[in-house]
Amino acid sequence: MESGAVHTQQQEEEKQKQQKEEEEEEKRKQQKEEEEEEEEEHFHVLAVDDSFIDRKLLERLLKESSYQVTLVDSGDKALEYLGLLDSIDNVNATSSSQSPQQECIYGEIRPGLGTDIFTGMKVNLIMTDYCMPGMSGYDLLKRVKGSYWKDVPVVIMSSENIPSRIRMCLEEGAEEFLLKPLQLSDVEKLQTHLLKSPEKYSSIRIDDSSFNTESSSNITVSSKSNIASKRKALSPEIEERRPKLKGLAVV
Amino acid sequence: MERTQLRRQVALTRQSLFDQGFLDEQFIQLEDLQDDANPNFVEEVVTLYYRDSARLITNIEKALEKNSLDFNKLDGFMHQFKGSSSSIGAKKVKAECTLFREYCRAGNGEGCTRTFQQIKKEYATLKRKLEAYFQVVRQAGPAETACWPK
Repeated sequence: MESGAVHTQQQEEEKQKQQKEEEEEEKRKQQKEEEEEEEEEHFHVLAVDDSFIDRKLLERLLKESSYQVTLVDSGDKALEYLGLLDSIDNVNATSSSQSPQQECIYGEIRPGLGTDIFTGMKVNLIMTDYCMPGMSGYDLLKRVKGSYWKDVPVVIMSSENIPSRIRMCLEEGAEEFLLKPLQLSDVEKLQTHLLKSPEKYSSIRIDDSSFNTESSSNITVSSKSNIASKRKALSPEIEERRPKLKGLAVV
Repeated sequence: MERTQLRRQVALTRQSLFDQGFLDEQFIQLEDLQDDANPNFVEEVVTLYYRDSARLITNIEKALEKNSLDFNKLDGFMHQFKGSSSSIGAKKVKAECTLFREYCRAGNGEGCTRTFQQIKKEYATLKRKLEAYFQVVRQAGPAETACWPK
């Protein structure tokens, strides 16, 4: 009789424990979904500037325009954030449970479109100062364009109006070149350059027929999201991105 | 009553900073970024500027004390300092910085040293003036307060 009672008690405790775990798991899931939803509503900008004051300003400007902002003070930190540094130690800021080793293994075949499929971290725009100690904004631009983040628009900022510098950056794939100090109107204009990444990676397939390079209309990738992009470069078939030199480079 | 007077003083002080060339358009950009959620943004940025640029001033000072001047290094420091100064709309400071950089490029140490004294003077003057300005702003209370309930 006694052993039977103990057995039932144990079972009861087990059950309760399980229930509790399930509830917590459910809560965690809900929270994550909410966070993801929130993330998706706002565009995420990665801003790179070695100047403390300029970072402060940039943050305010971007938040005023309702962007989510991540600020770093160097090109190296930006690469680290994007998971592009060789070190196995670095982890993406919003990484959940992925191990760094996993990221390294799949590092080269992750698709662009601004979303890291393993962590779900997305970057819709990168803004970087040109003149920085160590890695310059131009170097960072090159690194980004040569990586799986290549589809993320990169905007260069500089306090110096040097036409050859501007040309160089645009030729390397910079979306825009802005003169500092930046104004609210500059940031508002960036809206059109933002990479609107899809909500769910799973809906993107490389052999998806909706990736039609001939199409000049919006490329719809999933039934839910609407990726309005004028840039055909979203198609994996186009390998290089050479935006035309824009006349309105300097604001 | 007094509030109105204080507000007038704020407006006048502010205007004179622009009229006398201490501040430029960029300062207005900062003001535009101030709102209910960021009610002291301008003062915060200015405070950060003075705190952050102090070390640049020290670096430049040290670099200027050397027997043989490293103009590249000096220019680099000044580039940073000019950038920050420009970001808060410090017009006179910025102008002196430009001059300093020209002397750097010309390898003119004497010109650099002289201009740097001028920079420090303008830098300190602006700090005084802005501190006084912010004080009146605080005394006058929140600017665009909602109308008194009718």
